[in-house]
Amino acid sequence: MGLVSWARSKSPWIAHFCTGSCNACDIEILACLTPRYDIERFGAVLKGSIRHADILLVTGPVTRQVRDRLLRIYEQMPEPKYVVAVGTCATSSGVYRGAYNVYPGVDSVIPVTAYISGCPVKPENIINGLSFLLKKIGESK
Amino acid sequence: MSFEQYVVETLKTVVFPGFVFIFFLSLFYEWFDRKFYARLQNRVGPLYTGFYGLLQPLADFIKLLSKEDIVPKKVDQLLFTMTPLFTLALSIFATLLLPISSNQGVVSFNGDVIVSILILTFICITVFYAGLSTYNRYAVIGAERLFLQMIGYEIPLTLSVVGVALNAQSLLLSDIVLSQERWWYILGPQALGFIVFVFAAQAELERIPFDLPEAEQEIIAGWNIDYSGRRLAMFRLARNIELVFLCGLAATFFLGGPLGPTIEGYTPILYTLYFVIKSLFVLAVLTVVRALFARLRIDQVESFCWKYLLPLALFQFVLVRLIL
Repeated sequence: MGLVSWARSKSPWIAHFCTGSCNACDIEILACLTPRYDIERFGAVLKGSIRHADILLVTGPVTRQVRDRLLRIYEQMPEPKYVVAVGTCATSSGVYRGAYNVYPGVDSVIPVTAYISGCPVKPENIINGLSFLLKKIGESK
Repeated sequence: MSFEQYVVETLKTVVFPGFVFIFFLSLFYEWFDRKFYARLQNRVGPLYTGFYGLLQPLADFIKLLSKEDIVPKKVDQLLFTMTPLFTLALSIFATLLLPISSNQGVVSFNGDVIVSILILTFICITVFYAGLSTYNRYAVIGAERLFLQMIGYEIPLTLSVVGVALNAQSLLLSDIVLSQERWWYILGPQALGFIVFVFAAQAELERIPFDLPEAEQEIIAGWNIDYSGRRLAMFRLARNIELVFLCGLAATFFLGGPLGPTIEGYTPILYTLYFVIKSLFVLAVLTVVRALFARLRIDQVESFCWKYLLPLALFQFVLVRLIL
């Protein structure tokens, strides 16, 4: 593990993007930042500006309306960037699958590195997915 | 100047107590700030990066250096590229004035008290231009707030230092340090000045409750919204060094700087230790203030500074005059 990939795996800054979820997953993401789960242990900080972030957490089914915005947000992120689909809606659009206005998952719009399932996801599950992603970042060159 | 002297002076500037020492000290201070802040909120804070997360700021710094550096098309190219450098250079120069390993900074001249406060204003102005150069509407709002805030805290900050300088009868940082050999100024009427200084430093560093210029919930990231990669790393480092500078300045003015009981032969090391401990105390106060308050509105900041901080600073000034 080189110095740079060590630094990348130890300092994931997170931006959170809601593509139209029911807010359950968003609340669980916030629960991760609160004292009980506190993902700042891993160095993760929630950032407001997308230009500062390394990891984009996407929650909710990607609707036609939000697709362009999601793409634009994704393109504004500086490389190297990683996307995590949080929740069943983001991974496969869940109960909305097949609806006329919904894409079948975030990965049909932008490349996704890690999927976290659950409806809503548990904070433990988010931490599990995050640590999986960090391991992957640390192994990559 | 002989060759040996030349080497010693260079090492002083570059290694200790100059750039390298200040770099690691600033990273340590950021760690202390984050960890203590997290503990105050009943969180654990950075934990797995190094011993108790001690390497977290370093990991952040290296990561930011290695990230893509985006220069948006419509920004003012010159200002956008130059302001991070200026901010970093100014803050590094400022720390050279601090008396760390002896009662004198690396750079010491008559009037360096004024220069140290002037540099704080300069940093504020460069940051203002950094926000303005992006032409992002959030960044411009942040930069405007920064300037408005500066109008509020700058005068109380200066006045709080005047009380100290008046008592020491000098505008030299080393004289101020030496004049506190028997009695720290925080134990006298300058204690009021210390309170003013702490709040003004909080505003200067844009920390809660004065974090309006980069209020995350309102204007996303304020003036640094469009900065990424290397430039953001520079800004963050400059902020951390400014944190060291302001904590050190508070320690110098009010807590006797690096002075303390010494053993013959170990004076520079012990002085550095005392300096770090004292400025960490100031940092702990700053962090408690950060954890205790919520963000103020811009008009509340102004009225707080002009209605409470300024009279308090003036009152301290009068008290010092009466005692002298």
